[in-house]
Amino acid sequence: MKILKLLLLPAMGATIAGAFLWPEPAAGFLGESSRIVFFHVPCAWTASLAFLVAAGYSAAVLVRGKAWHDDLAASAVRVGLLFAALALVTGSLFAKIMWGSYWNWDPRESSFLLLLFLYAAYLFLRTAIEDPARRRRIAAAYALFAAVLMPFLVFVAPRVTQSLHPQTVINPEGRVLMDTPTKTVFFASLATFTGLFLWFLSLDARSARLQREGTSPAGNAEGARRVAVI
Amino acid sequence: MNSLAFLAAVNLVIWVGLFAYLWRIDRRISRRERER
Repeated sequence: MKILKLLLLPAMGATIAGAFLWPEPAAGFLGESSRIVFFHVPCAWTASLAFLVAAGYSAAVLVRGKAWHDDLAASAVRVGLLFAALALVTGSLFAKIMWGSYWNWDPRESSFLLLLFLYAAYLFLRTAIEDPARRRRIAAAYALFAAVLMPFLVFVAPRVTQSLHPQTVINPEGRVLMDTPTKTVFFASLATFTGLFLWFLSLDARSARLQREGTSPAGNAEGARRVAVI
Repeated sequence: MNSLAFLAAVNLVIWVGLFAYLWRIDRRISRRERER
C-alpha cells in the first residue's frame, strides 16, 4: 500500500505536466480551455465512483451491520461530495470561458447539482439520528436509494434535452473521440484521481473509526476535527 | 517561461504540498492505530 501511495506522487506530477504541456488544445474550444477535461472529468468520475462505493458498503451494513462498513460508506460519500464540488467548480470555470457565464442551467450542470444535494442530504440525515445502530441502518437504506437515482442524474437526465455540454467520453459514436496524447493524459488522470480517491477514503474512514472508538488520531479534540474533514 | 508552463509549475507545487500533508496525516493515523 505504501508503494502505491508513493507512486501517486510521480503519477499525478506527470499527469499535471502532461495536461498542460503535451496535447494540443482541442479544436472547437476557446484558447486552452479544453485542457480542463483532464481535471473536470476525473473529478466527476471519482464522485460517481465514490457514490457507488458508498452504495456497496451500505448494502454490506444492511446485511452484516458492521460499524466499519458504515464508516467506509459515510467516508465515501464525504469524499464523493468533495470531488463532485470540484467537478462543478471546474465545469463553471469552463462555462465562463466558453459560454460567458459561470452557470447556465444546462441539463448536465443542473443534474449534477441535484446529485450533490442528494448526497449532502445523506450527511444531514446522519447528524439527525443519535442512536448509532439506527443511524447505520437508515443511512445505509438512504445511500442505496440515492444510488438508484445516481445513474439517472449522471447518464440519463443530461441527455433528455439539448445541452451546451461538449460531447462526453460515453457518446453515440461509441468510441473515444480524442487524439493519442489527449487520450493518454486523460486516462492517466482518471487512474491517478481514482488512486487519490482510495487514499482519501482510507484516511477518512480510519480517522472516523478512531473517533468512534474514542481514540483521536491527532491526540486532541481539535486535531480530531481537523483530520475528520479530510 | 510561457503561461502554460507557469500554470503547470503552480499546480505541481500545490500537488507536492497536498501529498506531503496527506502523508503526514496517514502516518499520524497509523501511529494511533498501533497504540490502540
